[in-house]
Amino acid sequence: MERDPNKFWNPHLAGVALGLVLATTYLVMGSGLGASGGSLRIGVWFVSLFAPGHVAATPPLARATVAEHPHWLVYELFGVMLGGLVAAYTSGRLKAEVLKGPRISTASRLALALAGGTLMGLAAKITRGCASGQALSGGALLSVGSWVFFLAFFVGGYGMAWFVRREYR
Amino acid sequence: MTFPLFPSPEAGLVFAVVSGFGFGFVLERAGFGRAQKLVGQFYGYDMSVFKVMFTAVITAMMVVVAASAVGLTDFKLIADHATSETLLVPFAIGGMLVGAGFVMSGYCPGTSWVAMASGKVDGLFTVIGTVIGAVLWSEVEWRPGFSTFHNMTNVGNFYLWELLHLPGRAGPVIVAVAVIAMAAGCFVGAEKIERLLADRADPLARAIPGGRPRGLVLTGFAALALVGLAALALPTGTQAGAREASAMTPAELAHHVFDSPWTVRVLDVRPMAECAAKRVPGSECVPEADLGKLRLADAEPSRELVIVGPGVAAAPPAAAAGYRGKLSLLQGGWPAWEAYALAPPAPPAPGAPAADVEAYRVRAGIQSALTGMKAAPPPPPPTAAPTGGPKKGGGGCSG
Repeated sequence: MERDPNKFWNPHLAGVALGLVLATTYLVMGSGLGASGGSLRIGVWFVSLFAPGHVAATPPLARATVAEHPHWLVYELFGVMLGGLVAAYTSGRLKAEVLKGPRISTASRLALALAGGTLMGLAAKITRGCASGQALSGGALLSVGSWVFFLAFFVGGYGMAWFVRREYR
Repeated sequence: MTFPLFPSPEAGLVFAVVSGFGFGFVLERAGFGRAQKLVGQFYGYDMSVFKVMFTAVITAMMVVVAASAVGLTDFKLIADHATSETLLVPFAIGGMLVGAGFVMSGYCPGTSWVAMASGKVDGLFTVIGTVIGAVLWSEVEWRPGFSTFHNMTNVGNFYLWELLHLPGRAGPVIVAVAVIAMAAGCFVGAEKIERLLADRADPLARAIPGGRPRGLVLTGFAALALVGLAALALPTGTQAGAREASAMTPAELAHHVFDSPWTVRVLDVRPMAECAAKRVPGSECVPEADLGKLRLADAEPSRELVIVGPGVAAAPPAAAAGYRGKLSLLQGGWPAWEAYALAPPAPPAPGAPAADVEAYRVRAGIQSALTGMKAAPPPPPPTAAPTGGPKKGGGGCSG
């Protein structure tokens, strides 16, 4: 197959494929997909390298180290990376680069990525899940909280979009 | 009920990598490893985020609805297991912050991993940010003031059909059909906006325009809505299916109690005095009149519920029938357990098959464990020559 980096799947077909992956995960694991849950565990592992006593003394961090914590989410993230890598390679999109518009410097773009990521990581703890865990996995099971999240997510996105419009175009 | 499978932890980890692979692969192919394509949603030139997310939600929802309608699983069982509690104020505020962070970084936590894997340095920085953010909030969420906000307006597991006061069985299906109708309308609107802004769009981020795929999409939605309506009409409700209790023999119960007590919840419904004197190890004494107080219909359904009655019973007590997990009756009730586990077993006759001797060993072990017998039971009589012939001398790897 010819590799065309600008060719994507039809969004509806991609949505059906994603929905089938999600439904399979429900039927096998009894849980949905998640991305932010694994991040905390990785962070806790990192903190415990330097300050194991601090992890033990902070209940939310200590909770992430016990066996009952869904540490399969970390394995899932490993799978996400693997899947992303294979798909990027086979579509010709595997390339070290910084994605940004022409009107912003690389350093500013990376600083905004780090700041945005931190904000999302923090807020995803408040909402007990991010776009994957709440909007997608909870939304499909008709949880009220997930739909509240879904709507608030779009409100926050449209509210912020104007301020960072120079970032991408 | 066949699903969810709830695999062993090790198999679960293997499955996690496989499902993660599918997740990452589809996200990348949808273009979600690219910040410009993702944020196009918020500048109006590319509604892919909305389309992919909504189609995925509908697909997954309808698979679970259809599987529940034919009795393979239970919508609410999966929902209770897979969704979090609903905390209205934290979710509304946190959701807006996630949305703001999404536009700033260009990714959501899941897609940032895909972007990182495909070499995007901005994706790597976003991943690092999400890890830092998760730890930062964990540092403060339990402290005074923060914990008030973090845990406020918690209404527990709460679903749209409950919000709309729809009945428990038909509710998910009705809401699902409504969601499909809403999505179809939103997609038509989204493509109008895209066409209006198409001339401004970055060629890299342009969505595939409408036309034939769109017709197919709407046809697909109509088909899914029909599946939903058929699900409503099907008489086999999962609730009805779960009510049939299976029979469990005393030997099976003993196996559970000794080898995997965490898989069962044993309820002894005999009168309190009898239960207090002698009962199955680990069982709860709940006289039948008090069963209603346990609110079994709302209880966590992951363990198999085993009812130990005063004698032979055909059907489970009404108060236990609402339990959403697996429900079993001990065959023969308490007398059968007493005869199996508390009375000394008769030694097998000489020359009995190996299976009988093994069964005797197990029973003798159970009996001595439960009656506190210090002395070992009489050894089984010598059996006929074991199958497979006598073992040759030596051993180790040479044989």
